[in-house]
Amino acid sequence: MAKTILIVDDSESIREVVSFTLENEGYTVLVAVDGKDALKFLDGTEIDLVITDLHMPVMDGIELIKHIRSMEKYQRIPILFLTTESQAAKKMEAKEAGATGWIIKPFVPAKLIAAINKVIR
Amino acid sequence: MDNFRNKFIEEATEHINDLEGTLLLLEQDPENKELVEKVFRIMHSLKGGGAMFGFERISEFTHNLENIYDLVRNGEMFVSKDLLDVTLAAVDHLKNLLDDRKSELPQTLDVHQNLLAKINNILESKNAIAITKDINKDKGSTNVTSAIASKTATYYILFQPNENIFDNGTNPLYLIDELYSLGQAICIPHFNRIPDFDKLIPTQCYTYWEVILSTAQPFNAISDVFIFVEDECHIDIHKLSDYNLLENNEFYGFIQQALKSSNDIGIDNLQTLASRINASIMVKEKKTDDRLAVSKENTISSIRVSSEKLDVLMNLVSELVTTQARLSLFAENSNNNELIAIAENVQKLSRQLRDIAFSIVLIPIENLMTRFQRLVRDLSQELKKEVQFVAEGTDTELDKTIIENLTDPLLHILRNSLDHGIEEPAIRVKHGKPRQGTIMLKAFYSGANVHIQISDDGAGIDTEKIRQKAISKGLISPDAVLSQKELLEFIFIPGFSTASNVTEVSGRGVGMDVVRRKIADIRGEVEVESKLGVGTTTTIKLPLTLSIIDGLLVKIHDTFYIIPLSSVDKIYAAEHNKVVGTFNQLIVLDGQQIPFFYLRHEFELEENNAPLEQVIVVRYEDKRIGLVVDSVVGEYQAVLKPLGKYYKNQEIISGATILGDGTIALVIDTNKAIKYFAHKYKVEEVK
Repeated sequence: MAKTILIVDDSESIREVVSFTLENEGYTVLVAVDGKDALKFLDGTEIDLVITDLHMPVMDGIELIKHIRSMEKYQRIPILFLTTESQAAKKMEAKEAGATGWIIKPFVPAKLIAAINKVIR
Repeated sequence: MDNFRNKFIEEATEHINDLEGTLLLLEQDPENKELVEKVFRIMHSLKGGGAMFGFERISEFTHNLENIYDLVRNGEMFVSKDLLDVTLAAVDHLKNLLDDRKSELPQTLDVHQNLLAKINNILESKNAIAITKDINKDKGSTNVTSAIASKTATYYILFQPNENIFDNGTNPLYLIDELYSLGQAICIPHFNRIPDFDKLIPTQCYTYWEVILSTAQPFNAISDVFIFVEDECHIDIHKLSDYNLLENNEFYGFIQQALKSSNDIGIDNLQTLASRINASIMVKEKKTDDRLAVSKENTISSIRVSSEKLDVLMNLVSELVTTQARLSLFAENSNNNELIAIAENVQKLSRQLRDIAFSIVLIPIENLMTRFQRLVRDLSQELKKEVQFVAEGTDTELDKTIIENLTDPLLHILRNSLDHGIEEPAIRVKHGKPRQGTIMLKAFYSGANVHIQISDDGAGIDTEKIRQKAISKGLISPDAVLSQKELLEFIFIPGFSTASNVTEVSGRGVGMDVVRRKIADIRGEVEVESKLGVGTTTTIKLPLTLSIIDGLLVKIHDTFYIIPLSSVDKIYAAEHNKVVGTFNQLIVLDGQQIPFFYLRHEFELEENNAPLEQVIVVRYEDKRIGLVVDSVVGEYQAVLKPLGKYYKNQEIISGATILGDGTIALVIDTNKAIKYFAHKYKVEEVK
């Protein structure tokens, strides 16, 4: 069965690039525009991986990660966050909040897929 | 994002050019799996990048092509001519799609729909499922493995996750999996940290792993596997050997043994064993060392530098050489030994620097070949002619600027050869020639020059027709006796051929004047030789580089001149009265009559009273001509500088250079100068 990936990002172009690439790889893709928007999917839906931006309006990535980790069903699902390399401190914060790994922006599809392959199969 | 977009455009352009070359090779060798693989890969990256950077049409477009080549790759389809035609057309279209100015034009969109439909047709028809080449497939795969084997190294990896590694969603088995994907691996799991059942917490990880991995991937690829979990586990990676230890029976046996026991193998044990095996293998393999050295040499890497930077570098190096010449001169005059030593050192270094810098901007003309092959392929199809394009000496290197300016003239000559040179197959057969015509491009070094020859075995140029044309245009009188060579010169006269039907009847001529002018811009010369019924050869002579020349420094009155060394044949001393006041402008040197020009006269200077004059004999076309100067100073490496726009219209002086003491020397273009002087005499005679 196709794995389901939830993408959370406020930038439409990133959402499009990521979902295009992932759909091409055969994943089912869910899309949310910020952390709060993402919560609507966390209602028991089977989700295999969350990819989230860190800087978003309404609810940012760190808060979303903490939120996900607090829910029993999603306590141990892999979460990757999108980051630019300059945000080393932010990276640590996200890691401590419970993120599994990261994808460095800008990324090419191959890098994205490689990162995903590290956490789901 | 715009930045990435430009990067992508650059990358994609490279991909597309690469694709074009690969497709042409594939046409020659349609069963070559590696080529198909490459086409597939290029399509794939274009698709991915296109989507990422907003070239939706590109990704839409390459998507289906990628699918097709995937089928080809898997042996479910074969490379047909249709497919190649469509893909090559796609190459052109992709270039347009990359260009923002063109991508939205209605005709581009038309082409887009058109090509998409064609591609879909091919995909749907999926005509003729290939039954062939199981043998090829096998051959291909063994090649790949043996290539990897030559660079493989063996690593020991200890992967000990913290107990709470599951908490942030990590699955350690995926990482082990990823290690397996890097090469040949054996994993030894250890369960000895698992506590008694009643103390066991199921959400914690107690297992750890030792992995022996033989891979051709760099060390980084291995450490990258653990990039997300660096902080949540203990990782040890050690290199055991520079080859695949798992293929060694003793080592493999040891690992199998270790798998059965539950104890850690540990890096120490493995290293001892590995070094023992290494030592025994070293002795056996000493002989193959040479081969390894060769393969190491192949790994020399290259970097990409923007051509603007290179231009700046070249300019600076030129300035440096000029300044260095001043320093040397100043040092010599100063009588300061220390300064002289420094100046000599600077001279040596700047010479080396100059040579390296010049070699950087030299690129092989191979870069042009793809375009030429493509032209020959397309045009011969269009003209219904059968033409084979052969290129020789494509590793010949030329200055980047020369290559850039060479493309159009060469394309022009090729087009002429195809259009007017090579005959239709039926006619060729009738004349006892092979059906398939041949166009040969040959590049080679000749002294400080590079020659590029394009020859065809076509119809040749009918000089009699040229002669008639010249007479009818009033360029020559009907009884004029002209050599073949002189007659062929007419095709370089602007408007000579376009106004006539020479091209329709016998041969080239369209815009050859433009070709010559463009080649002259890069200080080159064009010559045509042709034999009726046998073929035509066009030769382009080019300097290796544009910005520096080896010259002979001479002096006339109080001005220095430089005569390019490449055209100098010999230097003679002659008595004053043998060159001044003669009435036929001929001098006997080495028993040979040589026409000469007394440059003081030509430059409208007074005669001097020196008893001896220097006659510099230079080559002009296939003749030897003397140029008489006051004195010869010596050889000089001249860094060419343009004269500026006020002097643009004179042709005798091609540039200037700055001498060590700051004086200017003028560089004489001997060919143009001699032509100009000769013309002047003819005009005077007529008067």
